[in-house]
Amino acid sequence: MIRLESFLVLSAILFSLGVYGVLARRHAVLILMSVELMLNAASINMVAFAAYTSPERFTGIIFAIFIITVAAAEVGLALAIVLRIFRNRTTANVDEVHQLKW
Amino acid sequence: MNLDYSLLIPEYLLAALAAVVIALGLYDTRRARTYLPYVSAGGLAAILVVSLFYINKGPLDFAGLVQIDNYTTFFRVLFIGITAVVCLASAHFVRDRLRHAGEYYGLLILSTIGAIYMAAGRELITAYIAMELLSFSLYVLVSFAKMDAKSNEGGMKYMLLGAFSSALFLYGLSLIYGVAGSTSYADINAALSNGVGDFGIAMLMGLVLIIAGIGFKVSAVPFHMWAPDAYEGAPLPITAYLSAASKAAGVALLLRLFTEAFLPVLSDWRWMIAALAAASMTLGNLVAIQQHNIKRLLAYSSIGQAGFMLMGIAALSEMAASTLVLHLTGYVITNLAAFVVVIAFYNASGKDEIADYRGLAERAPFLALSLTVALFSLAGMPLFAGFATKFLLFQAVAKEGLLWLAALAVVNSLISLYYYLLVIKQMYVGETEEKVRLRVPAGVNAVIVALVIGVFVVGLYPQPLFKATDNAVHAVFPTTAAKQAHDTGSSPSESPLPGR
Repeated sequence: MIRLESFLVLSAILFSLGVYGVLARRHAVLILMSVELMLNAASINMVAFAAYTSPERFTGIIFAIFIITVAAAEVGLALAIVLRIFRNRTTANVDEVHQLKW
Repeated sequence: MNLDYSLLIPEYLLAALAAVVIALGLYDTRRARTYLPYVSAGGLAAILVVSLFYINKGPLDFAGLVQIDNYTTFFRVLFIGITAVVCLASAHFVRDRLRHAGEYYGLLILSTIGAIYMAAGRELITAYIAMELLSFSLYVLVSFAKMDAKSNEGGMKYMLLGAFSSALFLYGLSLIYGVAGSTSYADINAALSNGVGDFGIAMLMGLVLIIAGIGFKVSAVPFHMWAPDAYEGAPLPITAYLSAASKAAGVALLLRLFTEAFLPVLSDWRWMIAALAAASMTLGNLVAIQQHNIKRLLAYSSIGQAGFMLMGIAALSEMAASTLVLHLTGYVITNLAAFVVVIAFYNASGKDEIADYRGLAERAPFLALSLTVALFSLAGMPLFAGFATKFLLFQAVAKEGLLWLAALAVVNSLISLYYYLLVIKQMYVGETEEKVRLRVPAGVNAVIVALVIGVFVVGLYPQPLFKATDNAVHAVFPTTAAKQAHDTGSSPSESPLPGR
């Protein structure tokens, strides 16, 4: 039997990797991929808590399904916006898109 | 489980209206752009009337997911009203400058549903999905001017930071779910009252992440970085909508979540919110001074206003919460008035720098006067909405022992007066070469008149509104909330059936 802590550590590592990716990456698509890592970390947490703390109710598992759906919608939308930027600017690097400041 | 679908009629009607609007936009593309704003605003007004029937109904819940009480009803009316005003204010802007009018109005209406459920959700999954429904619609709307590089950029920054913050929020929710073993606010409240044992750190971490996620929505410092860029890049009516509905929805969610779920651990999060409030109002107002674009000025001023609102959450008492909702309403009316004037000016002249407002008093005396009223009200001058609501809010905060925060807020109000006066000076003292009078459509003038009257009514005779906010807040507060938690039992599935 794998202990609950192992899942939590896994999700914490995934989440930290995601945060690091968002802060360190400069390409919009890679930032989105890092956000996906963070969302997946949250899903792992949800499912692990659901399975270990209240196995008779499925709240956490349902939540995880919602997260997957929302994440898919988010990526579809985000890529459309990034595509727009790329068409207009021929770059999707967040450093090079800086018309607006202060 | 209570599956009384009649509780959600206003939302079904909103969804149907959105579908109709989008369909009209698709099948009658040429003419739709001129009449769609009025169709949307008319439909919204009708739905607003329908939602008035829910006053003093409940508290009832739908399947343990959505709570229908006075708080929900209050925010339903507020959000539908905001959307109706924004639709009317968009009419000329969208007709002249944007394509795909159907999607524009349809998304605005859909985002309203998200905002309403943020206030109504009594459970974490619903709150999260509602927040995403609002955010996703807004990502699209902010980048709606497809060919405009600024709009693209504002949209991308908003979307990337929004996705990041909602992931933080979600991880926070997962930790709280783990600690409390349930996603329902009432159950979380019960679990936290019994003590969290070894999970203290997890709970604290969850709270920090949740505050970060909602702080982003209400654009509180240090999660405000997206706001000026999104405000400047977005089509102007959407900027107005962002500053009014998006912020109000964030505050509504924060207030319900933190009173219904996290009240037992008040001492753990009070200082976090107080720090955010202090940072937001100070930084927002100081940076606003050096802005030269009216949208960015209003963006930073709205960051400062977010500080005032968080202050009401930090001093969480029934009185403070009620004055907070009152201040929020006053702010929404005032800010919409300011933005409708800015939109009218932009439609007529195509300019949005503060320097362009020079001599506006001669070119469009009515616009200048209305903007002056709105800015004075934002600064909190007597006679106007801002004074009455701020006075009550600061008083309630000081009473809760956060005197330093209230004092800081007063100082910040003075700072904000300075930069609002700069704009007013430009309009009345500045000379301009252009003597052509600006033409403002009658419909827009009517909207401005209504909003300005609203500003004066809230400023001079706030009692009826105050009573409404009192009733609204009463629904979420422990005196009643504790009773409800007791009634509902530990599991949402045992909730009593309504007698409808």
